[in-house]
Amino acid sequence: MTATEAEAEADSAVVGDDVYTDGTLVRDPDIEESLSQDEYDPKGTLALLLVYFLILALMWTYMYFVEFLGNGATVVG
Amino acid sequence: MSTPGETAGETVESAREMLPDNSFLIQYPHVSRVVRSLFLTAFVAFGIGAFMGVLQALHRTGIARIVESADYYTFLTLHGVLLAIVFTIFFLAGVFTWANTRSLDRPPVSKRFTWFWVVTMSAGTAMAGIAMLAGLLPSIDISADVLFTFYAPLQAHPIFYIGLAVFVIGTWLAGIDWFRQFLAWRREHPDERIPLQSFMVLTTMIMWFIATLGVAVEVVVFLIPWSLGIMPAPNPLLTRTLFWFFGHPIVYFWLMPAYLLWYTVLPKIAGGRLFSDPLARVVFVLFLLLSTPVGIHHQYLDPGIAEGFKFIAMTNTMFLLLPSLLTAFTVVASIEHGARQRGGTGYFGWLKALPWRDPAFTGMALAGLMFAAGGFSGMVNAGMNINYLVHNTLWVPGHFHLTVGTAVALSFMAGAYWLVPRITGRKLYSRPIGLFQVVLWFVGMVFMSAAMHRGGLAGIPRRTAEPQYPQVAFETVAGSVGSLRLQLAFGGVLLFVSALLFLMNVGLTAMNNKPARGLDSALPPALSGPEQSPTVLDNLKLWALIAVVLVILAYSLPLYSIVQGAGLYPAGQEASPAVIAPLLEVIA
Amino acid sequence: MHVHNYEKLWLGASLLLIVGFISTIVYGAAGAGITMVNDEGGQVNPKELGNTSGFDDPGVTKVGPNEYEVHIVALQFAFQPGTVELPANSTVTFYVTSRDVVHGFEVAGTNANTMVIPGEVSQITVEFDEPGEYGIVCHEYCGAGHHSMAAELIVREPSNFTMQDDTQTPTSGNETTNATATPTGGESA
Repeated sequence: MTATEAEAEADSAVVGDDVYTDGTLVRDPDIEESLSQDEYDPKGTLALLLVYFLILALMWTYMYFVEFLGNGATVVG
Repeated sequence: MSTPGETAGETVESAREMLPDNSFLIQYPHVSRVVRSLFLTAFVAFGIGAFMGVLQALHRTGIARIVESADYYTFLTLHGVLLAIVFTIFFLAGVFTWANTRSLDRPPVSKRFTWFWVVTMSAGTAMAGIAMLAGLLPSIDISADVLFTFYAPLQAHPIFYIGLAVFVIGTWLAGIDWFRQFLAWRREHPDERIPLQSFMVLTTMIMWFIATLGVAVEVVVFLIPWSLGIMPAPNPLLTRTLFWFFGHPIVYFWLMPAYLLWYTVLPKIAGGRLFSDPLARVVFVLFLLLSTPVGIHHQYLDPGIAEGFKFIAMTNTMFLLLPSLLTAFTVVASIEHGARQRGGTGYFGWLKALPWRDPAFTGMALAGLMFAAGGFSGMVNAGMNINYLVHNTLWVPGHFHLTVGTAVALSFMAGAYWLVPRITGRKLYSRPIGLFQVVLWFVGMVFMSAAMHRGGLAGIPRRTAEPQYPQVAFETVAGSVGSLRLQLAFGGVLLFVSALLFLMNVGLTAMNNKPARGLDSALPPALSGPEQSPTVLDNLKLWALIAVVLVILAYSLPLYSIVQGAGLYPAGQEASPAVIAPLLEVIA
Repeated sequence: MHVHNYEKLWLGASLLLIVGFISTIVYGAAGAGITMVNDEGGQVNPKELGNTSGFDDPGVTKVGPNEYEVHIVALQFAFQPGTVELPANSTVTFYVTSRDVVHGFEVAGTNANTMVIPGEVSQITVEFDEPGEYGIVCHEYCGAGHHSMAAELIVREPSNFTMQDDTQTPTSGNETTNATATPTGGESA
């Protein structure tokens, strides 16, 4: 798909003023809904960040105890 | 490239009338001009700095050595100063000018004062730039091959230090301008909460005022008189410590404008609302308090500093992780809100409902993802004794190319795709090229940074023209050093191509005759608004005072003991290279 | 102040991470015995190293049954001495200082790593258990020839190790001119 085609396709689907960087946002008004503070629980965010937490804990353990303490001579005084 | 439904005769001038009345360019044409001129300097510096970068990537890996290895360090100085100081700070000055004006809904107090600081910053940049570039011409007796970390006894020409001082004064004036703008707003709105973007600008600038005191003392009290030959060489450890007093908080000076974009612009682009205005304020206050009393973590392996001081710097640094980890939650929850409003479902399925075809969104999202990885290598850097493993190895530039080189730089590029149409009234030249460009940056950085981190674990030093030694065999955990070199150079080339595409896309946008559309400058209100937070968060004087006290607590004893150790001007220190003959000797 | 419960949970997880990181570092210091280079090395005059005990004749000195001291002078663009030989199963204290600008000292492939600052002495004690050959590199930019600044460290089987020559001992009557000897670590490809 060339740039021109992409723009043409996007332009045809523009809805509303609140738009993409270049004025070509694709939005489907049917699925759009307004979520208020009380209705919204960021469970996806929590899930992503718990995965990140596990990665950090594992990587830290690996870096400290394998890469660092296993890296031969170390300064002890 | 013509799009259907657009008449050929439509020009930017006539289109300005079509812009909504609340678009930034219509409301603040003069401020838009200031931002354009700041961005222009930023992007010129970015182009030159990126070119230096690809030369280095090819040189140190031995793939193509176009310049002499002795000149490598001149290029390295240019790369560091142009990208880490000129590009970042000019761009953020543009973002802050825009954000402060937009959120306070009033222009700066004096046009002349605004242009005065723009000119001051530019003049300082030009002086430092001339000193660095002259290092490439042996016929001119000027050089500044001191790298971005300019401490004694390596010496640059005085014009380099004076240029830096002038530049920093320019940034102070900019901060004063933004504060005056805020105070003028305050007189008209005595009881309102500080608008969020302005709050971010002001807290960041207070942090910057405190942080730059270190480098101001280093440069004005010690380096300039020394380079002019008026005073003897200062205590090298003292100049290092003063440099890092400034050298770590500058990291947050780069990062805060990226955070400003993530907190305020990214939710809008994602079709959502900021999850929590109160936590955004808490995060910026934490950065104001904790950014500066941590600089000694860059000196974990310095002799002459007691271990206790290093430990204190480490605990402060570790707690500095907190505002970034909170940012991760608030920002991701804000874009998830956008995805859910647009039909996203599930624990991870909502990610598909995000506007991935928008380079402004995708650029910032990838920048945030890279920051998650850079955050990890930063945690390792922050750990005191594990620093023995990575200190001054290639791991360190691997780390900061993820943070300043991607989290910041890629957010700035993505932000430019969103902001440049708003300050020019011109339509972005090409969204697909923009999208390709931000993804290419991400891919290039994956190659380059991964190779750097692994090379660092093998002990390969940073900032070295030819890290190939007859005496040394570097051993990697997996893969050969040769393959790491290839990956590093390949990534560097991709990054350079991406930088060129960005500059081309932005340059053609500035010349684009098609009008931008739909530039409503309003930002959606936060889900949890400022009314849900205590007003003490807006007490800037209180936070500034606590920040100063923390800095005094963290630095007074270490500085005292360093000066007690070797003195301010220890015997036997000598400039290298002696850039100009010491004035005292000339007189004698 | 309103904070969503999920964000409170994440705040708790973040604090747990931070405390975990600090605890690991404390374990490294107290449990594994890792010490940071600090201010114990004291100060020297970088122009007077030729008259400073230890640095006037850089190299290896035996100070106990399995204990050695190594004085090293860093200069643009070499280390003195350019080759250090030590026996395995020894405890070695390095005293490193600079004659001119800031340098780095890193035994590549180990955690023996320190900054070298003119006027300050970096004192680090390292245990070498296994024989091996290591490169020493300067990892702090120190001028146009920075990339050629390296040396080598050879850890020998104790049975193969002899102190190289008498000039390395403090009782030697050798001149102190060694401190300004020609750089030896320099010729990089």
